[in-house]
Amino acid sequence: MATLKSAKRWFWWHKWTSLICTLFLLLLCLTGLPLVFHEEIDDFSKSKRGETVPPGSRENASLDVIIANGKKAQPDKVTRYVFWDDEDPSIVYLSLSDSITAPPDNYKILQMNAYTGELEEQLKVDEGFMHIMLQLHTDLFLGIGGKLFLGLMGILFIIAIISGIVLYGPIMKKYDFGMIRNEKSRRLKWLDMHNLLGIVALFWTFVVGFTGVINTLSDVVLGLWQQGQLAEMTAPYRNEKPLNPDSLYSLDLATKTAVKAAPQMGLRIIAMPGTMFTSKHHYAVFMKGNTPLTSRLLVPALIDAKTGQLTDMRKMPWYVNALFLSEPLHFGDYGGLPLKIIWALLDLITIVILITGLYLWISRLKASRAQLARLDNRLPLTLKEEVNHEF
Amino acid sequence: MNFNTPFLRLWGMPLVLALATLVGLLAALIGDGLWDALSWLLLSSLVLVVVWYIAKANRKA
Repeated sequence: MATLKSAKRWFWWHKWTSLICTLFLLLLCLTGLPLVFHEEIDDFSKSKRGETVPPGSRENASLDVIIANGKKAQPDKVTRYVFWDDEDPSIVYLSLSDSITAPPDNYKILQMNAYTGELEEQLKVDEGFMHIMLQLHTDLFLGIGGKLFLGLMGILFIIAIISGIVLYGPIMKKYDFGMIRNEKSRRLKWLDMHNLLGIVALFWTFVVGFTGVINTLSDVVLGLWQQGQLAEMTAPYRNEKPLNPDSLYSLDLATKTAVKAAPQMGLRIIAMPGTMFTSKHHYAVFMKGNTPLTSRLLVPALIDAKTGQLTDMRKMPWYVNALFLSEPLHFGDYGGLPLKIIWALLDLITIVILITGLYLWISRLKASRAQLARLDNRLPLTLKEEVNHEF
Repeated sequence: MNFNTPFLRLWGMPLVLALATLVGLLAALIGDGLWDALSWLLLSSLVLVVVWYIAKANRKA
């Protein structure tokens, strides 16, 4: 299939793209392992959960009361976002910052009881083991530059996967699937292991790698949406005077208007006027669908924060939905605990692929031509040629 | 599985596993309950294939 020359070229790509990204991918796999279970770990370390009352059996507290209670707890801060717990309808979270325009990493999260409206606790957001894991995994503590750098490593990883698939052909042509020669030499054993694990997990590693790269583009996607759809939806308000923050329309009534406009959908997150996800004049009420798929594809309803009128409600453009969909496919958090366990096992398999790949490279560097020559007659033709030419 | 042509002998299993992964990843997105179970079944088959062939190699050795 592949000629010798092209196999060599693919091998070159496989070697160098892997070598450059391997250490970073190892870091991503290791930090990703606990992150797969972050919900379980968070639950475990939480001091108390909200009251678990079946939905509908009690009235929800007014959001205006909840916001006011948040303000009481943190008088010199403002609420920028209100969001709901995915699992527990008795919890509403408030995200408070020093000002509406403070940087994104300036925030505190208050957990509020959705029925009584009372403060339950202030969550610890920027400390602890999981925070370190998350920062290392998303941007190496380096902000957007680190994020995009990891995206670049992800692209190299994808090239390594594709070149690995191409090489699998000539290498395995004469052998059965799943062959592991563990009696001959350690190098052959690890080579076979690398090939087997690589080809078995290839589509999963490809999907998780690719969706990881898309996730690194979240800031770019947000910018595109702000300049595009959001600007279009709020165009009539561009030259309006800024709102008086003390005389806003009731958030609770505004939210009810949004729910009435899409009764089959649920509430996910509300962005207050002036934040990144809305205009200076609108509450943006982001609604979610009720299947695992549509619950990821949020739909914003924009409510005039002065009059309480619904001014626009649209589906997000494809690039935002691509980002929304790439999140579950990267996190593995959309099929219960068993899916997370499978995610973790495949993550471990990926770690073995990375380490065996590194081992193969190091052992090749160390091995002398003579040692390789002894293996010569056992290797398939393309690999033999490769060995003779490369080393 | 029995793949008789040279192409399928080489690529049969990788294709089956890639297809199982694709369907498994999408199943849990489409629905809950049985769809989740289908996803667990298909995706865990990848891990089982790995365990099976490693065990096979160790038996021989």
